[in-house]
Amino acid sequence: MLTYSAGIVMPAVHKPDVFAAISHSARRQILDLLTKGERPVNEIAAHFEMSRPAVSQHLRVLLDAGLLTEQRHGRERRYCFVPERLSPVRDWIALYDRFWDDRLRRLQKHLAKMDDQ
Amino acid sequence: MSNTIRKEILFPQPPERVWRGIANSAALADWMFPNDFEPRVGHQFTFRVPPNPAVGFEGLTVRCEVRECEAPKRLAFSWAVAGPVADTQVSFQLEPEGEGTRMIFEHSGFDLSQPGGNLALKGAEYGWAKMLGQLGAVVAK
Repeated sequence: MLTYSAGIVMPAVHKPDVFAAISHSARRQILDLLTKGERPVNEIAAHFEMSRPAVSQHLRVLLDAGLLTEQRHGRERRYCFVPERLSPVRDWIALYDRFWDDRLRRLQKHLAKMDDQ
Repeated sequence: MSNTIRKEILFPQPPERVWRGIANSAALADWMFPNDFEPRVGHQFTFRVPPNPAVGFEGLTVRCEVRECEAPKRLAFSWAVAGPVADTQVSFQLEPEGEGTRMIFEHSGFDLSQPGGNLALKGAEYGWAKMLGQLGAVVAK
């Protein structure tokens, strides 16, 4: 689901919410579910053993973190995933990605050096 | 929600040569970090990432265990630091390609759910920011 981005950005100190928001497995499952398209709360709750208020609470955390948007369709509220909001997480992985680029370049140099000897 | 870094690299050297560059303590010290690696499954070793006072980096120990070691084809070891990198796996797969070698590198098992959900926001925030900073210092070296 994640892709890499080039920029490295520190998670903003006043916005820790994204990391905290995905720290719970139920919330990650909700996000996984919503990658397939927007869903009303009933449909989301049907995937879980927990109570409807508990599901709503998780949805609230995801909404507060900006990972979801909520839209009213008549009496129904539908939830939609905003994947762009995961960019601090992608940036973190991207840092490790750069680390390995750097080390593997060193391996190439190491092997070339051995060839010369 | 975990993630994998995957890279493919072509080397002009044959797999036997590339193998000596990855499954050897002295070679790993040259392009990775000082270590006590031994090429046998089950061997526990560490990479000691030296401190870099210039950027305020305190140094770091990566705990590893050899999981697969099949010369000159595949080397895999665990890679443990902390938080989301507490239980990750690194693997090098070597395939002959012409006179040279195709290496498929993977680093998998990043647990983006760490630190755990019960931690206070501040704790989680600090953990992430610190690890990010430390890794940044390593890359900058």
